[in-house]
Amino acid sequence: MPIAEIFQKFPNRRYIEFGGKGGLGKTTFSAATAYWLAKQGHKVLVFSVDPQASLSDIFERDIFGKGAVEIMPNLFAQEIDADRHIHQYQEQIRQKIRDMYGLDKMPEEIESYIQAAAAEPAMEESAIFDAVVDIVVGAQFDYYIYDLVPLGHALYYLSMASIYDEWIGKVTSLREEMQEYSQVAALLERKKKTEEDEILAELQYIKGRINTSSGILTDRERTAFFFVVTPEEMIILDTQKAATLFAKYQVPISGYIVNRVIPAELAGENIPEYLRRRITMQADYLKQIDRTFGDEVLTRVPEFERDITGLEMIGRVAESLFGGQA
Amino acid sequence: MGKKLKKMKVKEEAKGLKGLGHSAKEFLYGMAGHDMTRFALKTRGSMEHLFILITMGDLLGIPILPPYYSLRLLPYVVPQISTWKRRMLREKDLTDALA
Repeated sequence: MPIAEIFQKFPNRRYIEFGGKGGLGKTTFSAATAYWLAKQGHKVLVFSVDPQASLSDIFERDIFGKGAVEIMPNLFAQEIDADRHIHQYQEQIRQKIRDMYGLDKMPEEIESYIQAAAAEPAMEESAIFDAVVDIVVGAQFDYYIYDLVPLGHALYYLSMASIYDEWIGKVTSLREEMQEYSQVAALLERKKKTEEDEILAELQYIKGRINTSSGILTDRERTAFFFVVTPEEMIILDTQKAATLFAKYQVPISGYIVNRVIPAELAGENIPEYLRRRITMQADYLKQIDRTFGDEVLTRVPEFERDITGLEMIGRVAESLFGGQA
Repeated sequence: MGKKLKKMKVKEEAKGLKGLGHSAKEFLYGMAGHDMTRFALKTRGSMEHLFILITMGDLLGIPILPPYYSLRLLPYVVPQISTWKRRMLREKDLTDALA
């Protein structure tokens, strides 16, 4: 069915994600979908979870780290500045330590731990992960479009959520059992007991944050996940593998969009052999895509004559994506 | 009191925590599950250390909680960090600490 129908048939799917290998058109389609929804009168936020985001590029405006920026009526875009988020967070932690222990200065050991932790590669991703929770529970927008990172990272992102949920569940129950034994041993001072309550509360908070994000991503009722493919052999294979993995993590796939299709009618004109061969090659792969993904293939989008940047081109893609036929 | 502890089972699938390895995971869980009854009452300090190990395992190179969230727990374990590190480095291996 055409992608527009997915939106019409499932109006409660307010969390939209585009996934697929890098460079295939996820950002383009995120922007185009945001454009179309905004034109329909919905208030939309499209945001990037990629540390090297490209929403600024496609909208031709610097929106990095500026919160939700209004691009046109109803259309807002956001690129999260993970580093700034982390720095602010570090300072919050420092302040909490100063307050809790009545310190003027951070002990050297603690300070170096705080800095080392921030430098870890996974810190940036988990910081963005956390920032996204605040965005999506904000409930300011009718639609949220996640411009997801390239395929590998998306899977890591999702597997992260379930792993951490599992670990936190175990740590929380471990902590709760520790609390029981403390009470049994009757060695507890009042202060320590309060502290343990606080730690438990923190663990529950963390669990809640993680559950919010992963809960949305795996909720068929509220999420529409579209895979972007192009008519190329490796892409088709990789997408099949990814689809299997996504099924494993219970991410519901709403459909596939085929991008970069050279208009077949060009074959009727006087074109170079090179182009003719590419059209033939694509025709084969398009058939393969239809065979493999069946009626989950929603739409084919043509290769445009130029890069998609700026609202005008985005509008053209939107028209192709939502106004065109499968 | 007399309450049976659930044995914590380790999930078989690696699920992405490739750096961790099965044996390390089993070790952590086994240690936590089996020996808790025995030493919990007499060495509550050890349990604090256990908790720290699990949540701040990155100090030993074992990735556990996402860095963003484990940092959130740092204020609560500040008093224990210096003593814990000294203890971990002093013990020949972890099992000694819990024997």
